Amino acid sequence: MDWLFFGEISLAGLAMGGLYALIALGFVIIYKATRVINFAIGEIMMFAAYLFLAFAGGMEMSPWIALPLAVIGGSILGGVIEKTMIRPMLGESPISVVMVTIGIASILVGLVEFVWTADPQLLPNFLPREPVFIGELYLAPKIAYGFLIGSALLIVYLLYFRFSRGGVALRATASDQAAAYSMGINVRRVFNMAWVFGSLAASLAGVLVAATGGLSPQFGIIGLSVLVVVIVGGLDSILGALVAGVFIGWLETVAGAYLGGEYRMPATFLVLAIILVIRPYGLFGTHEIERV
Amino acid sequence: MFRNILEKGRRLAGLGSLVAALTVAAPAMAQDKEPIVFGGSIPLSGVFAFAGIHLHAGLTDYTDWINSQGGINGHPVEYVMEDTAYEVDRSVAAFKKISGSSSPATYYGDSTGFMKAIASELNSQGNTLMSGASFATVLTDNETYPYQFIPGPNYSQMFGIILEYIASQGEGGDMPNVAFVYSDTEFGKDPIENGKARAAELGIEVVEEIVTKPGSVDVSAEVLKLRRVRPDYVVFHGYVLSPINEFMVQMRQMGLDTQFMGTFWSSDKLIIDKMGADADGYMGVMPYNYYDSEEGGPMLEALRAQAEKSDPEAGYRPTGYIQGWFNAMVWTEVIKRTLDAGKELNADNMAEALASIKDWDTGGIIGIPVTAKNMSFPVGRIWRVNADEGRYEPVSDWIHLD
Repeated sequence: MDWLFFGEISLAGLAMGGLYALIALGFVIIYKATRVINFAIGEIMMFAAYLFLAFAGGMEMSPWIALPLAVIGGSILGGVIEKTMIRPMLGESPISVVMVTIGIASILVGLVEFVWTADPQLLPNFLPREPVFIGELYLAPKIAYGFLIGSALLIVYLLYFRFSRGGVALRATASDQAAAYSMGINVRRVFNMAWVFGSLAASLAGVLVAATGGLSPQFGIIGLSVLVVVIVGGLDSILGALVAGVFIGWLETVAGAYLGGEYRMPATFLVLAIILVIRPYGLFGTHEIERV
Repeated sequence: MFRNILEKGRRLAGLGSLVAALTVAAPAMAQDKEPIVFGGSIPLSGVFAFAGIHLHAGLTDYTDWINSQGGINGHPVEYVMEDTAYEVDRSVAAFKKISGSSSPATYYGDSTGFMKAIASELNSQGNTLMSGASFATVLTDNETYPYQFIPGPNYSQMFGIILEYIASQGEGGDMPNVAFVYSDTEFGKDPIENGKARAAELGIEVVEEIVTKPGSVDVSAEVLKLRRVRPDYVVFHGYVLSPINEFMVQMRQMGLDTQFMGTFWSSDKLIIDKMGADADGYMGVMPYNYYDSEEGGPMLEALRAQAEKSDPEAGYRPTGYIQGWFNAMVWTEVIKRTLDAGKELNADNMAEALASIKDWDTGGIIGIPVTAKNMSFPVGRIWRVNADEGRYEPVSDWIHLD
């Protein structure tokens, strides 16, 4: 066994898993607070990445100005979607709300095709290009720096949810909406905030992933593949999103390297199937008991 | 005096109008014959729209151009198409609709999947000859697909041309080795087995095979595998842009001096436009001259003039445009040969006419005369990116596989 190779592969997988965790966080924040499974999360990622392309490529802004602008743009989009399309659906059946998010995804794909055409795109280089070595282990620079940026946001989020008033309101609403409402928490505002924060995490992940793998109107499909991460970790668990994101990223990469690229997806879906059998609510998800 | 001049002016104007009317009417009179229809399932939206838009422009411009030349043996040409979003069921529906309403002599299929799915219906109808966006090896099986052809070399033949070029670079018996990197799709896997067999025949060792997801996000693990085998050449297939860029950049960051090559859909100018200086040295196999190449010829000049006329703002036209144009050129040649032979315009006769194409001068679209072989045109040339100039330059002669 070539342990150096295994170490390098594992490092690449863990770093990629960090980005999966960031996307999964976008899913989970929205679901945890609002109980909406947002199938448009991939397209929100895509939209933010196109905004980055417009700011840094078309308008030739510094990428370090374009990056926050694109991420803020994506989060504003999330807030607008919640206010104009999801909020009117409050009280409707969950499947109707899911269909609305699928519709939003289609609209966003059409919009970017209209504005930026269907051509595949590459984002302007903004991450350092020098190879990164951790000891003797090589790590691709885009993945390494993408992981660092994503991790920084994850830490900010965890601190915010733990210690800020907004974070407490969000957690309170997630645990019991009626109780939160009776305690004077503006639940509707919390819903909106969850969409803004969830979209912000997804938008940052969108730019970082597109910087590595390129961008096209079909980019949003990655959001659906991260659904595996969310289900394995537990739909309503932030810890689950982080752990499962890193694990699935590692597993996918190791399976691809040792078994071949065609086994990446089967390996992750095998894990998904096992988890669904053993813990249908995910590794860290809430096991809701419905008493009649 | 003044009235006299006015009167003469009126007469001249009248005569001028008559001449003008006759001038305008003459081609129309020549085109009183029944129109010939080019049909098409065209991916103007969906995952293949980036190419579909240009394929459509090439087909449209060729149709306008051939009509300006008096049509095909006096028959005007109509181009009837529907957007399919690159979905097989929509392509099939479009084919049925256009077949039912317009009886197309020839038809553009947007994918291998569609062309395979429609084969039995196409064979039973026996009216239409089909080609399209696909260069799939399987479509050159004349038993199953007698009425479908490839407008260039099939993917296995493209690999053959690439491998012949690589073999020609071996110095003093030191044959370069190669790695194949392809997408986990039917498209990606198409030429791999034949490519490995051809490499073995030429004495080229295939040191690694890498399969990736089509829209692969991260390929650093695959790059690490390639670092261990240090291939002289990496041949990509089944991609348009990503992840070719990441393989090239990361392998160069590791200090490898590997050279990178790709097949038709991986060899558009898009790679240069998006990768910039990183694209320098990338090589592709291309059966046609690029729009901005220094090559000339009457048909290539006609293509450039028509492209300029139809959209002066468009500038460079991608390879998809030339592919669309060349498809329609072959259709025209086949229809013309069939009509000149006094035969009925059906699929059998058109397939026979196609098979009769030998040493055909394409007017500069392809740099050498071409011969149809097993419903394909197994010819191509290796081009290398000159990033400073922003274009591909030829690095081999035209290679016509026997």
